[in-house]
Parts: sequence; C-alpha cells; structure tokens
Amino acid sequence: MSKGFASNYRVVLLAIGVLLTFAGVGTRLVFLHVIDREKLVRHIEEVRRQIVVENAVRGDIVDRRGQLLATSRTMIELGVDPQVMRPQDEAKWPELARLINVPLEKLTEIFNTKVRSADPNDPESRERLVRWARLCEEIPESLYDRVRALDIKGVYGTSAYRRTYPQGRLAAHLVGYVNKEGTPATGIEHYADFYLRGQNGWRESEKDGRQREMARFRSRDVPATNGYSVMLSIDSVIQSWVEEELDAIAAEFSPDNAVIIVSDAATGFLLALANYPTFDLNEFNKAPMEAQKNYAISSQIDPGSTFKIVAAAGAINEGLVTRSTRFDCNVAEVVYNGKPRRLMDDDHTYDHPLTVEDIISRSSNRGAAMLAMALGDRRFYEYARAFGFGEKTGFPLVGEINGRLHDPKQWSGSDITRIPAGYSISATPLQIHYGMGVIASGGVLHRPQIISEVRSASGELVYRFGSNVARRVITNSTAQEIAWSLQKVVSEEGTASNIVIPGYQLAGKTGTAQKLIDGRYSSRNHIASFSGFFPASAPRVVITVIVDNGKPRRGVAYGRAVAAPSFKRIAEKLIPYLDIPPADSAAAPSLLASKGLRP
Amino acid sequence: MNKTGTQAFVNQVLIYTLVAICLSGSVGLASVWMQQQIAATSNSIKQLEMRTAELERRRGEINADIAAEQSPLRLEQRNRAWNLGLVQPTEQQIERVYESPERRLARKRNDERFGVESISFTPTRYVAGGSR
Repeated sequence: MSKGFASNYRVVLLAIGVLLTFAGVGTRLVFLHVIDREKLVRHIEEVRRQIVVENAVRGDIVDRRGQLLATSRTMIELGVDPQVMRPQDEAKWPELARLINVPLEKLTEIFNTKVRSADPNDPESRERLVRWARLCEEIPESLYDRVRALDIKGVYGTSAYRRTYPQGRLAAHLVGYVNKEGTPATGIEHYADFYLRGQNGWRESEKDGRQREMARFRSRDVPATNGYSVMLSIDSVIQSWVEEELDAIAAEFSPDNAVIIVSDAATGFLLALANYPTFDLNEFNKAPMEAQKNYAISSQIDPGSTFKIVAAAGAINEGLVTRSTRFDCNVAEVVYNGKPRRLMDDDHTYDHPLTVEDIISRSSNRGAAMLAMALGDRRFYEYARAFGFGEKTGFPLVGEINGRLHDPKQWSGSDITRIPAGYSISATPLQIHYGMGVIASGGVLHRPQIISEVRSASGELVYRFGSNVARRVITNSTAQEIAWSLQKVVSEEGTASNIVIPGYQLAGKTGTAQKLIDGRYSSRNHIASFSGFFPASAPRVVITVIVDNGKPRRGVAYGRAVAAPSFKRIAEKLIPYLDIPPADSAAAPSLLASKGLRP
Repeated sequence: MNKTGTQAFVNQVLIYTLVAICLSGSVGLASVWMQQQIAATSNSIKQLEMRTAELERRRGEINADIAAEQSPLRLEQRNRAWNLGLVQPTEQQIERVYESPERRLARKRNDERFGVESISFTPTRYVAGGSR
C-alpha cells in the first residue's frame, strides 16, 4: 500500500509552518484593522488626506462686438532651487538669461547663492539653505515652454491666473483693473465683480510620500464655476476714434484734461467714453493718480452755454414762449421780483430782438436769463433738476459726484441771471451729456448704461440689460422744437458754423465757461465744450466734447474753436460706420454698400 | 488501516490547504491587478484633465494674443507699416440700398445671366456615343 507523499514528518512540519504563518498574518490583520484601527486611520488621514482648491477663471469683459477688453491668462512665476543645480547646466545659463531678459550676472548671483546668511540684528536667526529664489515675476506659458526645453535642473515655475488687458489703454477708465493682490480696484472690474469672479472648486483626495496626488483615492470633486462674461455697450472702434481725437486735442491745445462721450440717443447706452490723460491698464501701477481719474464723472465744471437748453426747454414746455417769441437782448438790466437785476454781458449787440431760436443759436446770456425769469426761480430749478443736474446720473462706476445746484432759497440775487448761462452751477461732463440726451431722445432722461449683457462661460445669456429711463422731462414736441433750434447753432448763423457737414443735420450747443481761479473768473482759462447730436430729425448718437483749460496758439479757447471740430471729425467717422443716412433720407431705413475704389 | 486513514486525512487537509492558498492567492492577485488598473485609469484621467486644463490655458493665451493683434490701434499700426492705405469709405463711395438686398442681388444675377449669356448663346448639339 502506498504511503502517499505526506508520509514523513517533514511534510507535517511544513503544513504546521504554513498554518502558523497564516495565523500570524491573520493576527496582524486583526491588530491593524480592529484593535489599532482608530489610531492608524487618524494618522493616515493626517498624513495622506489633502484638499486641493481648483481656482475659477475670472470672466472676460468684451465690447459690444465681442472684442476682448479684459481676460485672464496663466502666467508663470519662475524660480530656482539652487541646491539641486548641476554643473553641466552652467553652459545654458546665458540662453536662460536671454530668454527671461535678466542680466547674466544677476542670474549667476542668484544661482550661486545657496545659503541665506543670518540676520545680525536677530540673535535667533541662523543661516538657512536657499530652496527657492525668484528669477522672474511673470512669464507667459509659451516662454515657459522654451525655458523648460533648456532642461536646467532646479529651474521651475508655478502658474497662476493673471488679469490681462489685450487692448492696453482702450477704455481704461471704464474697464478698470484687478490689482496685484487680485482685488478688483476700479471700473467694470470692480462694479461687475459679482458676475466676473466665479466660484472656486475643491477636490478631496490623498497624496503619496512624495506629495503627489493619488487620483484613485479622490473622494469628492466639486468643479470650479468660471466667472460670467460681461458685454459692454462700448464699441472698440468708436472708443479708439474718440481716444485718437483726445490725443489730437492734447497735442494741439495741451489741456489740463479733456473728456469725450458718445452714446446712443434712443437708449442712453454708452458707445464710448474717454478721458485725457489716460493710462495703460497692463501698467496701472506705473500710472499717476491724475491719469487714473475718470473726469467724466468725478470732475465738476461750469457747464457754460450748453446749459442754456434748460431755460429754453422749460419755457417752451410750459407754454410761456414759442421758438419765435422775441426778447430784447440789448438791455443790461431788468426788474425781476420787484428788484433790478444786472444781466451778464453778451459777446455781441443785436440790432433787433432775438427769437428763442436766436437766443440758442447765438448763445445769448441775457436771453437765457430772461427765459429763466419767465419760468421763475422754482420752476427753473425744477427743470434743471429734471434734466439731471445736481444729482448723480446713476452711472454704475464708483467715483461719481453730484455736481452743484443749490436750492433757490440759497440763491443770491444774481444767480437767476447767471445759472441759465451755465455759471454758479457745477456739473460733471456726464451730466452735461445726458442733459443734451434729453433733447435727442425726445424728452426723456436716460440713466447711463454701460453693460449690455451678461453671459455664462459656455456662452448662454444670463441677463440682458435694457434702456433705463429715469423720467420724462419735457414733451416730445418741446424736444423737437429745441432740436430745430440747436440745428441752427450748426449753421451759417450759429456759433458752430465751422462744423457743418453737407447733407447732415447736426444739432448741438457750444459752451465756453471761464474757469474759477483763486475765487475769480479768469479771462484766460476756459472750459470749452460742445454737446450735440445728429441727425436732428431722427437722432442716432449724442456726442459731447469737453476740454478743460485748452491753450490754442491763437485766440481764446472757445467751444467752437477747441471742442466743436472734434465733434465734427467724430461725426464724420460715425456716419459710414453706423450707417447714418443724409438728411433727405433720414427717415428711411437703409443698408450700406460701398462702391468704387479707395481714394 | 488506521495509519492509512490518517494519512489520507492529512493528504486531504494538505490538498484543501493548497487549493485554499491557490484560491486566496488568485483572489489577492486579482484584487491587486484590479487596484492597479483602477490606479492606472485614475492616473490616466488625471493626466487627461491636466492636459485639458493646459489646453484651456493655452487657448486663453492665444485668444488674448489674437485680441491684442485685432485691437484698432494695432490694426492701424499695421495699416501704416505695410502701406496698405486702408481708409474709411467716403460718402461718395457709399451707395445706400433701400430695397430688399435679396431681390436686388437676384435681379443683378438674372440680368447678368440672361443679358450676357443670351448674346453669346450657342446651341449645343448632342451626338450619340459622344462624351459629355
């Protein structure tokens, strides 16, 4: 009979050994998984668990045609660990220095500084090994690829999203910027931060002994929600023309500051708003504060003759006068409320009484005062308020001021003669612009709108902003009456006869206000302005040009000489761009088609 | 007999033990292989996510560069540098069309087709067996 293969004791011994080994493993497992479980799990969680924040990308700011004005891009902060550098890489240092535009001597010094010496003033400080030293604050990823291609051990970068402004200085005061700390400081960046900023995500997982994530142990993953894109009503092309025009004004008249505003007459949406001086958004930290100031909303000036539309519109709207009602503007003094009032001087004398239309087109200070007197203090004040003077326009960006328009109780005896001519009142350029916008829109005051749409990162429409009407100020027929009078300003008889565009009905008002310097009105320092719209019969755009303390080579800085020509040049560019037809076909919708060769 | 019975029992135990070892080893190996596959797949997904994120970043960078190149200021610089002479159309060069552009284009096309072709019309003669 066969004994079988387990016939000797050694096999039994082997079997016992195997069983004991299993028993040992089992016992150890019981210790690991049952007895010491709590302690071990806690330790593992402390050492291996990690929460990685996934940064959301800030949304873009685009113009009304989708052109990028602000976006986020990854920038690499380049550094080095001098402890791990290899001698054989030394030959590549000059190439690295050239790529990142750092002097080779400086680069060599950084690479060779391996120990940070102790602070002699601090007894507790000791020498420390340098494990990281910055080589370059920000380089684009494409450049980082070339740096990595050099394969210099120890040189590496950390990436982070940075805000960049592809258009540079274009619409700088509107777009605003995010500062180095990542805080939205000004402009739309600040105002629309709620839409733009997005929400960071996070991921819970484990890491190995070399701090690498072990993807298989990911337990929770909350993806980041990128910020929404904000579409502005600004048009980059118009904005660029406006800024070019400001450059031309600066070169010709060396003003203290200047503002040009262009808006849609029907909706109040801004198409362009620019200030001089301005700055490059990508180099905001180098720009002086006066360049960063948005003069359109934060400077207050005497509006001058552009304000005369208020008294005229009020008097016509109340039915006190018509366009053809005449006033004797040669008289220097009138009796008002039982007291004699001396009127401001006019630049000209007139051989006949002026109609209301003439008062506007010839810019008579005395005529404007008489129209205001016809209204009375209180009603004139209420019309000025209704036109938006003395209160914020509701412009969404920070820094807007109220301007100054006192209650009639606080007026001096001469204020009723001065305020109608645009003195003893202060307004921001934006208030002046939207005051003119009341006439262009047919009698309603719009609130300035600059954001037209908000879209999600995937392009879906989140919110569309519409026209925002603050109030009706005058009737449509009154607005038309004033518009026809303003059209006469830009004619052979008016104060802006130099800006006629044949075939087009321009309407507007010149303004020249003396500047208040050391408590006295200066005869040498002026604020020149022109605010108008076109076509007068069916207004499409409102344009305002304000030049503070321009210095023409000859003569006084009148609105007609300093500001009005810029209005004309911008209007000429807008005519083909916005397809604005000539007067005889103004009412008919048209389509543009170009013909012929370039001139 | 007894000895033989004991040996058979030991044999059976050993065989069962070996089978159990083989089975548990197989299960263990399968488990390790599965874990390995899970890890490899997770790492692959992670790599793909990183690649996607990198491509998104690159796309953002390229978009920013394109936007900078398309800025009105840069286009005007190019216009001057390359002597392209591009300017806005003047009023004399603009023809305003107040009718439906589709109709106008259709009429223009038809005028060209019938007007021009009718002059140079030559009848085509088809010959049996000839190629088109």
